[in-house]
Amino acid sequence: MVLEIRNLSKSFGGLKVIDGLSFGVQAGERLALIGPNGAGKTTVFNLITGVYPADSGSVLLDGHDITRLASRYRIRRGLARTFQNIRLMPHLTVVENVMIAQYARTPGVAAMLQPVGLGRANRWRQEARAALADAGLEAYADEVAGSLPYGVQKRIELVRALLAAPRVLLLDEPAAGLNPAETEALHQALEAIAARGVTLVVVEHDMHFVGRLCPRVVVLNFGQKIAECPTGEIHTDRRVREAYLGAEDYAA
Amino acid sequence: MSGYLESVLVLLAINTILAYAAFLPMVAGQLNLGVAAFVAIGAYSAGYLSNTFSVHPVPGAFAALAMAGFVGWLVAFPILRTRGIYLALATFALNQVVQGAILNMDAVGGASGYPIPEHIGFAVVATFAVGVLALVVLLFHTRFGISVTAVSDDERVADLMGLSVRGLQSAAFTAGAALAGLAGALYAHHFNYVEPQNYGVLFSIYVVLYVLLGGTQTVWGPLLGAAVFTLLPELLRGSAAWRYVIFACLIIAIMALRPQGVVVRKAWFSR
Amino acid sequence: MLEQQLINGLMLGSVYALVAVAFTLAIGVLNFLNFSIPGLFMVAGMLTWFFLRAGLPWPLAALLAVASGGLLSILVERFTYRLMSRSQHFVPLVTSMAFLILFENLALIAWGSDQQRVPLPFETVSWRVGGTVIAVPQLVGLGCAIAAVACLDLLLKRTHIGRGLRTIAEDPETATLLGVPVSRVVPVVFIVGGVFTALSGFLFAVNYQQASPFMGEEVALKGISAMVVGGMGNIWGAILGGLLIGVVETFAIHWLGARGVDIAVYGLLLAILFVRPTGLLGGVVRQQRM
Repeated sequence: MVLEIRNLSKSFGGLKVIDGLSFGVQAGERLALIGPNGAGKTTVFNLITGVYPADSGSVLLDGHDITRLASRYRIRRGLARTFQNIRLMPHLTVVENVMIAQYARTPGVAAMLQPVGLGRANRWRQEARAALADAGLEAYADEVAGSLPYGVQKRIELVRALLAAPRVLLLDEPAAGLNPAETEALHQALEAIAARGVTLVVVEHDMHFVGRLCPRVVVLNFGQKIAECPTGEIHTDRRVREAYLGAEDYAA
Repeated sequence: MSGYLESVLVLLAINTILAYAAFLPMVAGQLNLGVAAFVAIGAYSAGYLSNTFSVHPVPGAFAALAMAGFVGWLVAFPILRTRGIYLALATFALNQVVQGAILNMDAVGGASGYPIPEHIGFAVVATFAVGVLALVVLLFHTRFGISVTAVSDDERVADLMGLSVRGLQSAAFTAGAALAGLAGALYAHHFNYVEPQNYGVLFSIYVVLYVLLGGTQTVWGPLLGAAVFTLLPELLRGSAAWRYVIFACLIIAIMALRPQGVVVRKAWFSR
Repeated sequence: MLEQQLINGLMLGSVYALVAVAFTLAIGVLNFLNFSIPGLFMVAGMLTWFFLRAGLPWPLAALLAVASGGLLSILVERFTYRLMSRSQHFVPLVTSMAFLILFENLALIAWGSDQQRVPLPFETVSWRVGGTVIAVPQLVGLGCAIAAVACLDLLLKRTHIGRGLRTIAEDPETATLLGVPVSRVVPVVFIVGGVFTALSGFLFAVNYQQASPFMGEEVALKGISAMVVGGMGNIWGAILGGLLIGVVETFAIHWLGARGVDIAVYGLLLAILFVRPTGLLGGVVRQQRM
């Protein structure tokens, strides 16, 4: 298993947001993490990436316990993510934004002081521009990120995460706010990424999108896992139906 | 070169170094109101080394740079646990404490001031200034520039992207302190006299203001700010107080009309 | 002897307290550090000297000094908070710094850099209480400070404007949505701050018989320390902090000499920022990047 959560728990104040959660992801797999609003899905991502420490339980990456590992080291180990509310750096251009993630591949003072902005042919800048071109974003490369349309920023965030060369990619509601054309483009992009061997864990509400991309799903409610099964079978699970009752259409 | 022209150019060179001393923490999102404290540390260190141990001004300037940088590094540990306005206030408090401490140091003259006879001319000061400028320009062509901007924009995400937030903030703060110390040493050896009254928070405020005037979005903004601050008064003549009145009005106008400063550009890295 | 120092400290502290209240109002309601406040303090103090030297009766001088604080604060408001909604969040702080520089240098141009002796507008009456001497004008000053803050407290808690201010302090965007007339309420923060600061400047000039263009830097700036020590955003914290800083300064002069003051007062500020940034009475400040 490339990523494993064992008995993870987290409370805020007196409120237990994640309660004894366990699940695993195989290398190259595409897993969806679903559940009603407030089920704790983003919190799980935050715990996995180390935004805050877990109260108990463990997070394992490639079998190594990273539960106590400081957050900035986790991306260096191959664990990258995107964010529910887009978190690009508003005062950097698109190229500069995505280049930030490259540091995770070669951390250290020497890398920090590499003159990547100098010269026409610097390979890091070339790589960043090529990645943007692959995603059809080269027109925006030198625009300041803060002023771009929502859909464009979402795509940029994905390119940024990829430039860290992750083995596991956590995507927090990647399809939220996208129109059908953008959603389809996202699907194609994620299929291509998965085909390259990147493991995907996707938090999503769009069940149609989930059904097309992810063969397996973990269902959360009130911080607990209430189901874990092939995507096609969730609508048969009684607990899942109860959790979603009246909330969303999830016909696969 | 006439004495008058020389002292104006020396001031320009020193103010340029000071501008970058304030600029580095500011790009990292830190409003450093304690710049003057580090200038003082540099000035007095260099002066003391020169007067007591006959250290030549040039190695003395490097020692001052190291001393100010070291103090900056030490102080960064507690100060960088604060954020935003608390950080600005902590640097302000630091400034006043250092000024107060120097007032009490009779070994370096205390309130009466400290004469430093060993003199350096324009050539030395200008060389240092050009060196600092070149280093800063180079620095902002590395990952450092975009990384500290990222830290300033969004600390949480910068950390998740693998950047060492604390390390970068500390580096910016320390480097700023070091440059301020260098400027102080050069001032001390050129004007040959320093006194603690010069190093209050208002000094720090002047520096921060002219950096903001020039603009913190590019490496050239601080240079322009230093130039305006140094040269405008010379062009307008009048007493020192009138120069500052005009400077203050300029700042108020700029903040009202174009708060990003005069020199604006979108990117650290061009095509 | 100790009691005398304590009394002296409290008297001085009342000056700091008023300035601290001005600072804390700006921080608490508008989330900005108003560096122009020491400038207003100085202008009020210098005008007090100017008018008293010209022979004006002291109530008139006081009124004019206080009015100057109010008027100048409106000027500052036009160029700081009015513009805050646009882009950069540091604009008000920076502009307020520019105003400090502006006021100080205008004063230098008008009156030179010497410290002036303020003629005493009335006979000093002192009371002897136990072994200590209390100068009545200073006691009146302390009384004014406390009364002013008590009125402010009532204003904040019992009036529409006060409610509006507290709503803005919570969340400025919501305040507008809730119908608070922000553009009419915000100037109140400035004017109250300006009046308090100017009153403090007048009191200082009269009680210590000195005024100079640098008195903002030298005296009023310590109000920042008082504000933080007492608790940012908390007006009673400002009073407490002010009195405490006054006492600390007085004892510092007594034990360390005049040159120990800055270390004591600002060292305390530094310590509080590291150890307990919310201050003694636990201020609440909206965390925001500079």
